[in-house]
Amino acid sequence: MTALAPREASRARTASTAGATLQAEWTKARTAPGTFWLLLAGAGLTVALGLLADAATRCQAAACAIDPAKTALIGVYLGQAVIVIAGVSAIGGEYGNRMILTTLTATPRRSIVLLAKAVILAGLVAVTGVVAVGGSLLAGRLILPGHGIGPARGLPPLSLGDDAVLRAAIGTVLYLVLIALLSLGTAATTRDTATATGTVLALLYLFPIIAAVAGAQAGRHVQQVGPMTAGLAIQATIGLRDLPIGPWAGLGVLAAWAAGALIAGAASLRSRDA
Amino acid sequence: MEATIECSGLRKRFGPTVALDGMSFAVRPGQVTGFIGPNGAGKSTTMRVILGLDAAQAGTALVGGQRYASLRFPLRHVGSLLDASALQPSRTGRNHLLWLAHSQGLTSRRVDDVIERAGLSKAATRRAGGYSLGMRQRLGIAAALLGDPSVLMLDEPFNGMDPEGIVWMRGFLKSLAAQGRAVLVSSHLTSELQDTAEHLVIVGRGKVIADTSTADLLAAASGDRVIVRTSAPAEAAGVLSRAGGNAEVTGPDTLTVTGLAADRVVPLLTASAISFSEVSAQRATLEQAYLDLTRDVTDYRAQEAAR
Amino acid sequence: MSTTTRTRPATARGLDDSFRALVRAEWTKFRTVRGWVIGMLIAALVTVVIVLLDHSSCGIVTPNGAPVGCSATIGPAGEAVTDDFYFAAQPLTGNGSLTARLTALTGQPSLGSWAKGGIIMKASTRPGSAYAAIMLTGTQGVRMQYDYTGDIAAPGKTAQAGSVSAATPLWLRLVRSGDSVTGYESADGTAWTTVGTVTLAGLPGTIQAGLFATSPGTSRITSESITGTSSSGGIAYATAVLDHVSLASSQPAGPWRGVAVGRPGPGTGFRHSGGRFAVTGSGDIAPGSPNDGGTPVERTLFGAVAGLITLIVVAVMFMTAEYRRGLLRVSLAASPRRGRLLAAKALVIGSVSFAAALAGGLASVPLGEWLLRSNGNFILPASGLTQARVIVGTAAILAIAALFALALGAIMRSTAGAITTAIVTTVLPYLLATTMVLPAGAGDWLLALTPAAGFAIQQSQTAYPQVIASYTPGNGYYPLAPWAGFAVLCGYAIAAFALALVLLRRRDA
Repeated sequence: MTALAPREASRARTASTAGATLQAEWTKARTAPGTFWLLLAGAGLTVALGLLADAATRCQAAACAIDPAKTALIGVYLGQAVIVIAGVSAIGGEYGNRMILTTLTATPRRSIVLLAKAVILAGLVAVTGVVAVGGSLLAGRLILPGHGIGPARGLPPLSLGDDAVLRAAIGTVLYLVLIALLSLGTAATTRDTATATGTVLALLYLFPIIAAVAGAQAGRHVQQVGPMTAGLAIQATIGLRDLPIGPWAGLGVLAAWAAGALIAGAASLRSRDA
Repeated sequence: MEATIECSGLRKRFGPTVALDGMSFAVRPGQVTGFIGPNGAGKSTTMRVILGLDAAQAGTALVGGQRYASLRFPLRHVGSLLDASALQPSRTGRNHLLWLAHSQGLTSRRVDDVIERAGLSKAATRRAGGYSLGMRQRLGIAAALLGDPSVLMLDEPFNGMDPEGIVWMRGFLKSLAAQGRAVLVSSHLTSELQDTAEHLVIVGRGKVIADTSTADLLAAASGDRVIVRTSAPAEAAGVLSRAGGNAEVTGPDTLTVTGLAADRVVPLLTASAISFSEVSAQRATLEQAYLDLTRDVTDYRAQEAAR
Repeated sequence: MSTTTRTRPATARGLDDSFRALVRAEWTKFRTVRGWVIGMLIAALVTVVIVLLDHSSCGIVTPNGAPVGCSATIGPAGEAVTDDFYFAAQPLTGNGSLTARLTALTGQPSLGSWAKGGIIMKASTRPGSAYAAIMLTGTQGVRMQYDYTGDIAAPGKTAQAGSVSAATPLWLRLVRSGDSVTGYESADGTAWTTVGTVTLAGLPGTIQAGLFATSPGTSRITSESITGTSSSGGIAYATAVLDHVSLASSQPAGPWRGVAVGRPGPGTGFRHSGGRFAVTGSGDIAPGSPNDGGTPVERTLFGAVAGLITLIVVAVMFMTAEYRRGLLRVSLAASPRRGRLLAAKALVIGSVSFAAALAGGLASVPLGEWLLRSNGNFILPASGLTQARVIVGTAAILAIAALFALALGAIMRSTAGAITTAIVTTVLPYLLATTMVLPAGAGDWLLALTPAAGFAIQQSQTAYPQVIASYTPGNGYYPLAPWAGFAVLCGYAIAAFALALVLLRRRDA
C-alpha cells in the first residue's frame, strides 16, 4: 500500500476545505477565458453611459437640483447588466455544461461551494466596481461643472472628500457586489442561466416602470421594495428628504434581496439531486 | 482509509420509475470489480448516490466506512469518473485539473503527474471542448487519479475509446488494482471487462442479480466445448467417449465435445486414424454468462417497452 | 408518375414542401419543451397582471364623499381638446362675413408665445364645437386655425404682436359660405391676402361669430433636476383691442354678447365703447395636451415590457439550446441549409410571440381601461384605427424584439449574454427615457437610436407644434413617428439576422 501514501510534496499548505474550495473557485474564475473581458466590459459600459449622461445634462436655471453624483454614476443602470451575466454564469454555466457534477464531487459540502463562489465573485466585482465608479466620477468631475452642475450652483463637488459623494461611491461599489450575489443566488435556485438572467433583469428593470404608473403613493412603496430602485438610493447626494427610502436603508433592501436569493440557492443546492 | 465501497439497501424512485430497489453490494480492495447491467439498471444512479450527488430515499452508501459527503478532501480518498464531458469547454484540460487540484489542497505538480499518467501531455494545453470523446475519458481518468485515491469508481470509462485506448485502459485499471486500490468499473458491455474484472456485480431493475467472481461465473455458465468437423462422426464420437469425453453428433459432419480439451482431442483422433477437417475450442464467454443471468430482466424490459 | 415526381430535382413546389416540413419540425421542437410553452403563457399573463398594478387616479372627492373623475372637452373629430377663451359674439345665420381691425395684442403678466386674439366663427358656444378663426399670436405671427388641430400660417411676412398698433393695424376677415370658411388678412383693409379656406363639416345654419382672446398659462423653468424640470407658472391673460368691426349678414345685426367659453378664468370679459372692443381671455383653443391630465390608451399596455422580458428569454433559449449538447449538428444534419433553419426558427418564434403578445394586449386594454376609469381617469379618445395600431403594433414590436433576441442568440451563442444584450437594448432605454432617469433630451436620443425606438408604435396621441407641453416619452410622446420607430426596430432585427446568417454559415456547427 505504499503507493497510496500521501504525497506530501505535492500538497499545498491549505488544510481546510473552505480554503481549498476558495482557491479552486479562484482558479476557475482565473482560467475561464471570458471573466476578465466580461468584467472589463462591465466597467467600460458603466463609464461610457456616464459620459453620455454627463455630456447631455445641462443646467441653465438659477436653482439646480441635478445631483452630480447620480448623473456621473448613472452608467450603473447599464453596467449592472454585465455584472448580472457574471453572477449568473458563475454557477449557471456549471449547470449548463454539467461541470457542477465535478465540482460537487470535489467538494460535497454544497454550501461551501456556494459560499466560495460568492466570495470570489464579490471580490472580482468589487474590483470592477472600483474601476467603474472611479472612472465615472472622474469623467463627471471633468465635465459636469462646465455644464452648470457643480459647486458654483451650490452642489457638492464630485470629490471623495465630500461625505455624501464618498457614500455614493462606496455604496455604488457595494451595489454592484450585491447585484452579483443576487444573480448568483437566483442562478443557484433556478439552475438555468436563461431563466436566472431574465428573472434578475426583470427584478431590476420592471420595478421602476411599475413605480412610474402605480400612482404616487403606491409608486413610492414599489420603489422602496425594488432591488434597483431602493439600492440606487445610495447614489443620492442631494434632496435626501425626497427619496422614497434612505441611502443605507435602500442598500439594505438590496442586501436583503441578495441574502434571500443566496439562502434560496443554498437550500436548493443542498436539498435537490445534483 | 480502508479501500472499500459498501452499499446496503439503497432505494430511490424518480416519480413512478424505480431507479434503485434495494441495491446492496461491497467492493473490495486489490481487484477490479465490474459493475454490469443493462441500460437503466441503476448503475449510474448508484454511483451518484455513493458520491452524494443524489440522495437515496433509503439505505446507506459508504466509502471506506464513511459517507462521501463527510470526507474533507474527498478526491484524496475516492477518484471518480461519472460524465467525461461534464467540464467547461472553454477551459484547457490542464486548467480543469488545476482547479480540481486546488479544491483538494493539491498543487500543480500533481496535475502534471496525472496528465502524464493519463497520456494527455500533448493535449493538456488545448481547450477541453475540442477533445475527442476518448481524450475526454483520459482527462476524466486524470481527474480521478488526482488525489491518489485508494478507491476508484469509473462509469463507462471505455465509452468512445479506440481499440488502442481500450487495451491501455484495461492494463491501467489492472495496475491500479494491483497497487491495492478498490476499483469499481461500470459497463453495459461485458466484453470490455472480459480479462480485466476479477469480480462482478451484475445488476438489473435497481438491484443486484449476481455478486460473484468472474471465474465462478464462467464455470457456472455452460462449460468449454470443442467442435470437431469430420467425415466419420460416429467413430470419432466413440473414440472420444471412451477417453472420458461427452460427445454428441450435432450435424451431418459435426461433433460437439465437452469434458475434453481441444489439445487432447487432436492426438486421440490422430491415434485412431480418424481424419478431421477442423477442431476448434469454444470458450464460454462472459457475454454468454451475463446474458443467461439477465435474460429475465431484459425480457421484462422488452415487454415493458412493447406495452 | 409518382416515381418521376420523387426523382425530380427540388422545384419551387418541392422547396415549399421541405420548408413547411422544417417549420413543422421547429414548431414540434418548440412545443415539446414545457418551459418554453409556459414562458409564452407567462408573457401573455404578465402583460395583463402588471396592468392591474396601475393605481393612478384622477379627480376630486366632493364634500359628500362622492368622487368625481376627470373629464375632457371633446372636439368635432372626437379627440380631446382645450376650448377656453372669452368671446364677444353674436349669431350669424346663413352665409356672411365678419371683419375687424386689430390694433393691439397684449398679455398679462407677459405675452405668451401662443397667446391669441382675433375673430372667430364657431358652431356654438359649447366647448369643443367646430370653429374657424383668424388671429394674431404672441410670437407666431398671423394664423388661421380651425377645429383645434388645424393651423395655417399666413403666407409671406406677416404682422407681429409687437408691431401692431393703431398706426400699423392688422385687418382680419372671415367669410362663411356654406360649410367652408375663408380667412383673410390685410394691412389696410383694402388689399386682402387669403390665409386659407377650410371646410367645417356639418356647420349649422346659425353660428356664433365674434371677437376673441385667450392665452395659455405661462411657465418659467425655475429649477432643473435629473427627474425633470420644475417650473413656476400660472394663469396668463391676453387682451385684444379691435375696432371697425362689421358683420355682413342677411339678418340685422344684434347686440354683442359676452360669452365665457369653457373655463377662461377669473377677470376675463370684454369692454365695448364707441366701436372699440377690448376682449380679455385666458386659456387656449387647441388640441389636448399631456398637461391636461387625460390618460392615453397605451397606458393599459405598459405591462408589455414585462412580457417582452419573458419573450426574450424564451427566444434566446430557443436558439442557444441548439448550441448545447451539439443539438445543432442534429438539426443541420436534418436540414443542411442553414439559412432555412434560421428562417424556420424565426417563423415559429415570431408567430408564437406575436400570438402571445396579442392575446395579452387584447386582454389588458379593456381591463386596464375599466380599472383606469373606475379610478376616475379620463381615457383620451383615439380612433379605431389608432387603437388597432397601438394594440397590434405592440404585439408586433414584441414579436420583432423576440426575433432580434433570437438572432442575438445565434450571433453570441451565449444564453446569458444574448438575453442581457436584448434586454439592455430594448427594455433599458425605454426605462431610462420614460421614467426620466436621464435628462429629457438624452432620453429622446435613446428612443430614436436604439431598438427601443419601436415603442413609438404605442403613441396614440399626436404632438402639435402650436401647443407648448411636455411632449416627453414619460408622457407617451416619442421622438420618432410610430412607423418610423417601428422601422428602426425592424432595421435592428434585420441587421442582426443578416449577421447571424453570415456567422451561422461561416462557423463550424
